Amino acid sequence: MIFNSIEFFIFLPLVFSIFWVFAKRGVKTQNFILLVASYVFYGWWDYRFLSLIVLSTLVDYVVGRKIYASQDRSHQKKWLTLSLVFNLGLLGFFKYFDFFVHSFITAFSFAGAKMEHQWTLDIVLPVGISFYTFQTLSYSLDIYRERLKPSENFISFATYVAFFPQLVAGPIERASQLLPQIDGDKKFKYDQAVQGLKLMLWGLFKKIVIADALAPIVDDIFQHADSYPSTTLALGGILFGFQIYGDFSGYSDIAIGTAKLFGIELMSNFKFPYFSRSIAEFWRRWHISLSTWFRDYLYIPLGGSKAGRTKAVQNIFIIFLVSGLWHGANWTFVIWGLFHAILFLPLFYLNLNRNFLETPNLFSSVRTFFVEGTQILWTFILVTIGWIFFRSETLSNALLYLKRMLFDFSHSEYHHPNGYRMLDYYLLLVGFSIFEYIIRADERNPIGFKNRYVRFLVYLILIFIMALFYDDGVDRSFIYFQF
Amino acid sequence: MLMLLGIELLVRVFHVYTERPERYLDGYDVEKWVPNQTGLSVTGNRKQNVGKYRINQFGFNSVYDTYDPKGDGLDVALVGDSFIEGFHQDYNNSLGQKVEHYMGDKVKVWEFGYAGYDLADQLHLIKAYDSIFKKMDCTIIYMRFTDDLTRSEYKISNRLSLDTPVNRILKEIKTVVYLKDIGLFDPITKTVGSVLSLLKGKTDGQGTPQAPDKEAIDEKRLENFKALVETYGYDKKKNILLLDGRLCSEDFLNYLKGNGFKTIDFSKTFLASETPTDLIYDQHWNDHGRELLAELISNYLKKKG
Repeated sequence: MIFNSIEFFIFLPLVFSIFWVFAKRGVKTQNFILLVASYVFYGWWDYRFLSLIVLSTLVDYVVGRKIYASQDRSHQKKWLTLSLVFNLGLLGFFKYFDFFVHSFITAFSFAGAKMEHQWTLDIVLPVGISFYTFQTLSYSLDIYRERLKPSENFISFATYVAFFPQLVAGPIERASQLLPQIDGDKKFKYDQAVQGLKLMLWGLFKKIVIADALAPIVDDIFQHADSYPSTTLALGGILFGFQIYGDFSGYSDIAIGTAKLFGIELMSNFKFPYFSRSIAEFWRRWHISLSTWFRDYLYIPLGGSKAGRTKAVQNIFIIFLVSGLWHGANWTFVIWGLFHAILFLPLFYLNLNRNFLETPNLFSSVRTFFVEGTQILWTFILVTIGWIFFRSETLSNALLYLKRMLFDFSHSEYHHPNGYRMLDYYLLLVGFSIFEYIIRADERNPIGFKNRYVRFLVYLILIFIMALFYDDGVDRSFIYFQF
Repeated sequence: MLMLLGIELLVRVFHVYTERPERYLDGYDVEKWVPNQTGLSVTGNRKQNVGKYRINQFGFNSVYDTYDPKGDGLDVALVGDSFIEGFHQDYNNSLGQKVEHYMGDKVKVWEFGYAGYDLADQLHLIKAYDSIFKKMDCTIIYMRFTDDLTRSEYKISNRLSLDTPVNRILKEIKTVVYLKDIGLFDPITKTVGSVLSLLKGKTDGQGTPQAPDKEAIDEKRLENFKALVETYGYDKKKNILLLDGRLCSEDFLNYLKGNGFKTIDFSKTFLASETPTDLIYDQHWNDHGRELLAELISNYLKKKG
């Protein structure tokens, strides 16, 4: 089931009503309702893959308790290894098996050996597997690191793993943050629910108006990259940047907003990343739940930046590489990760990676406007170049796209084959960027204007624009479902 | 409630909704628009295409108030469905007007277009208003092979039910009109439809019916064509079929050729066009498509004298 579907518009009010009608019966009932709803939500896509979630839940529930019960560190390590092998094995098999076999065969064919592709299994990737396996892993890791006590109740733990708002595309929650909320008695708070609805509206806007409206244009440009002029290719990169941001941050906003309706606070996943003044800042604002996951469970355990410069550089490369590979079993993602690592390293060497911790304020002075404006623009250009690797089907496609875009200058006005009026889209993106700048201080409260008339006007305009850009012919699924 | 009113206001102010005239059935059982209505026909979510229509005293969209050929030049009747009706264009830039532009002052093109008309409707209209069509030098009938030959005799259609009192009230809520047009209600109607068909299938105890093969359908269309021509009459000297050969079966085209039916086939012209001939989000001809057709029709008329 996807958030922007008619099924979800029936499902959510139904679950919301049942949940709060029976909420007084206590936490167990609350969690039981949420768990059943979450399994229905996931099973709507393919009920057979529910077994993987249940299995993953069972394994880490047992592992967590065993680690906690044992006083022997080597015993604990064995149980943790079981969790790691199981979860990463699950991920490796479903997501990377074919990729590694293909890469292995290609590597051997370069060496002259002939091998058939008969070992690949064409496995279906279970939706959300990268998200919930990371979530269960963090649970076992936190117990092993004595930062968390295991859950006393299996239903609570299963709800934590499968909590439907963030099950298939995050934010990837930590047990230490989400489990206590699930274990606690959830009370209906009017303000929290209203804020949740506002976030859902804003997320839906970003999905329908930004991501879905741009999708056919981006698809066309990337599919015909060999025939479009360089300016059109640049336009394709920029539009994809907006598309993926609208798609993924839209999903995250709807997820956070939906969770609020049940009295649960999920972590922020995006903080207006396109206003970043450096790549380091971009990574503090983009897909926060994943980048902090890698920081806490990979970068720091590897020694982080305290293990000496050489080791730190190595660690940075590792997390960017793994982060790229996490997105998909394709070399394009690996190169995308490495590209960002290369952009990040100079900042790290010059100790500039912790700059720009405050919210950008372009209009504080003329100097700031020009300096920070240039920094934002430059960061956006670099990120856009990275997106070309991310969006291309193959590495050779990406390189061809970049070569034509950067070294073969040519220009002609872009016309979509369906005849879309491009001016509509340009105006839309300018308006969207201005609005994002206005609300940049608080990503969790996008329509937080104090004046009720202004709020009303914003709701009105958002809904109206959603109708203007709604396209019933477009594929409405979320990009990050495939990761 | 205030929000809905606000959206209604925006939809009206920006006029993103389309307008449709009211229908009626005249004394000859011919379905037409209620005379003397004007409005704006809007296509696409963001007004990608806007056309003003003007229903004349007879009940069709036209620059002419009535149909009274004087016989002082060439009088051409243009009969068809929504493609000829042309709500997707300004009424004074219609296909008929474009043909007149190509042909010069001595030619008048009288348009009889109505959305949903098939060949049965068209031949019934021509027969019912024989007094008007007799005065024409020729009648061009636009026919879509895939849509317009589904029946062998004329019956009053259920399109008139679109103008029930409930629908008329709903038409006044412009937000509903707009959202319906952009397909926002489609998922709901599809879901309801599939649930109903599922229930119906279960109660009937029947499986999914087998779709008849294309050849059988095409054969049936040809039979319907013959039956309609037989029932309502067809003046092969005066009538010309305007059609897209890409949609027609080979047997049908051979039949027309072998039996002396005059045709204007625009398939090659449209295929050769480098720019699109249809509107965005809509299958109807755009201005370029109509321009190509007007040129084609004009050349045909000039050639035939």
